[in-house]
Amino acid sequence: MYGYLVYLTRDRSLAEDLTADTFEKALRLWRRFDPARASAQTWLCQIARTTALDWFRSEERRQQREERAAAPEQVDADFADGLSPLIEAALAELSAGEREVIALRVLLDLDGEEAARVLGISPTAVSTRLSRALKKLEEKVSVNV
Amino acid sequence: MSETLLNEIRATKPVAPDALRERIHALGTQQPARAPFRSRFEWRRLVLVAPAALVVAVVAAGVIGLSSDDVGGDGKQAASSGGSDAAVTSEALKDAAPEHARLAPYNAATLGTLDQAEAAPAVGAPATGATTIAPSPGQLQRYQAELRLRVDDVEALSGATKRAQQIAVAHGGSVASLQYDAPAEGIGAARIVLRIPTARVQGALAQLAALGTILGQRYGIEDLQEQADSLQTQLEQTQRRIAGILTQLESATLSAENRVVLQSRLSASRQKLTGLREGLRSTNAEARTATVYLTLTTEEIQPAAVSGSRLDDIKDVLAWEGIALLYAVVVAGPFVLLGLLVWLALRLRRRQVETRLLEQN
Repeated sequence: MYGYLVYLTRDRSLAEDLTADTFEKALRLWRRFDPARASAQTWLCQIARTTALDWFRSEERRQQREERAAAPEQVDADFADGLSPLIEAALAELSAGEREVIALRVLLDLDGEEAARVLGISPTAVSTRLSRALKKLEEKVSVNV
Repeated sequence: MSETLLNEIRATKPVAPDALRERIHALGTQQPARAPFRSRFEWRRLVLVAPAALVVAVVAAGVIGLSSDDVGGDGKQAASSGGSDAAVTSEALKDAAPEHARLAPYNAATLGTLDQAEAAPAVGAPATGATTIAPSPGQLQRYQAELRLRVDDVEALSGATKRAQQIAVAHGGSVASLQYDAPAEGIGAARIVLRIPTARVQGALAQLAALGTILGQRYGIEDLQEQADSLQTQLEQTQRRIAGILTQLESATLSAENRVVLQSRLSASRQKLTGLREGLRSTNAEARTATVYLTLTTEEIQPAAVSGSRLDDIKDVLAWEGIALLYAVVVAGPFVLLGLLVWLALRLRRRQVETRLLEQN
C-alpha cells in the first residue's frame, strides 16, 4: 500500500500518513470486506485510492482558499531508495493517474482484473492506460538521458 | 518498454519505514470501532428481502383467503353443509332479490334488513337450522321477511306451495298473492306473499323454512311506534280543538259572522280527525300483520367447491396485492428513475473530478 501511495502522491511522508489512514479505515470497515468479491490487496488498494483522492480534493480546496491554485506547491519527487534519478524524474513528470496504473500493475503486480476493480474501469482500459503510461515513461527517460 | 526499466522499478519498490509499520500494528491492536449503520448496511441484503416479501405476500393471501368468508366486500360467501348440493353463495340470494324487490318495494336501509349471511351461519343448510329475527313485543313494527327455498322437484313444489298456504292460515294469516309456475321441463317456481299476524310470524317462518333447503333469507323491521305516537298526539289535539269550537258555538253572544267561521273550522277539524283515526288504524293494522315473501324453486344449485372458492379468494388477495404493487411501482417509478439519473450524474461527475485530480497531481 505504501509503495502504491508513494507513486500516487510522489511524497513519502504523505504516503505514510495516507497508508496509516488507509489501514485505519480498513480496520473500521473490515466487516464489509468480502473475499468472494476481491482479494484483500485489491480491497485495500481501493480504500487507499479513495483516501488519496480525498486528500487531493481537500488539498485542492485548501489551495483554492489560499488562492494558490494557479501555482501548485511543488513537491520534490522521492519515490524510493535506489531508484535511478532518471527514472525518478521521468516518473515525477507523469500524472498521478499514469503513475498509479504503473504502481498497480508493475509494483504491486496486480492482474488486469484486479487493477480494473481498483480503478473502476474495464480491464481493457487498464491495459491501454498502462501501455500509454509506460510508453510515456520510456520517452521521458530517453529525453532525460 | 525495456525490461530493465520495469525490473528497476520492481527492484526499488518503496519500503514502508519501521515507524509506519509500528503505527499500523498499533492500529491492529486497538479494538475496531463499530462501523456506522451506513457502512454496515449492505445492499446485497436487499436481495434477500425480495423473496421474503414474496413469501409473506403469498402466505398473507393464503391466510386472508382461508380465514375470510367475505373478501373484498362483494358478499361472496362459501359455506358448507351435509347436503350434496349444500354449498351455495349469496349470489343465489342476489338472484332472488330483484323478484322480491318487485313484490316488496321497501327500503333496506330504513328496514334494517338482515341477510341470511348475517342471520344464519349455514346458508343452504337443512331448513331446521334457519335463524329468524323476532319482532320486539309491545312495539309497533312493520315486519317483513323473505325466504327463498329450494325443493326437489315439481311434485315437491306443488306440495310445498299448498303447505305454505296451510301454514299461513294455521297461524291466523292469509295468502295475499300467489304465482305458481310448474312447466313440464325446466325450473318450477312459486312466489307467494303471505300476511301473518306479527305475534305468530316466528312460528310460521320456522315451519315455512322447513319446506325446503334455504337458498336465502332476509328480514326487515321498521319501527312504526313513533309514527303511531305522533298520530295519537295529533288526534288528541284535534279532539281538544273540536271541543273548544263546540263550546264557543254554544255561546249566545256569538255573532252570525263568527258562527259561520267557527262552523267552517269545526268541519275541517272533523275531517282531519277522521283522517288521523284512519291513519292510526292503518298503522296499527300494519304493525299487527307481517308480510312474508316466499319463493319456492326447483332450481338446481351448482355445488361450489369450497376449496375452489377459497382458492379464488386467495387469487383475489394475490391480485389485489399485485395491483397494490403495480400502483406502488407506477407512483414510485418516476422517483426511482429520477434518483437513478441523479446517482448516475453524480457518479459521472465524481469520475471527472477524480480524473482531473489524477491529471493534476
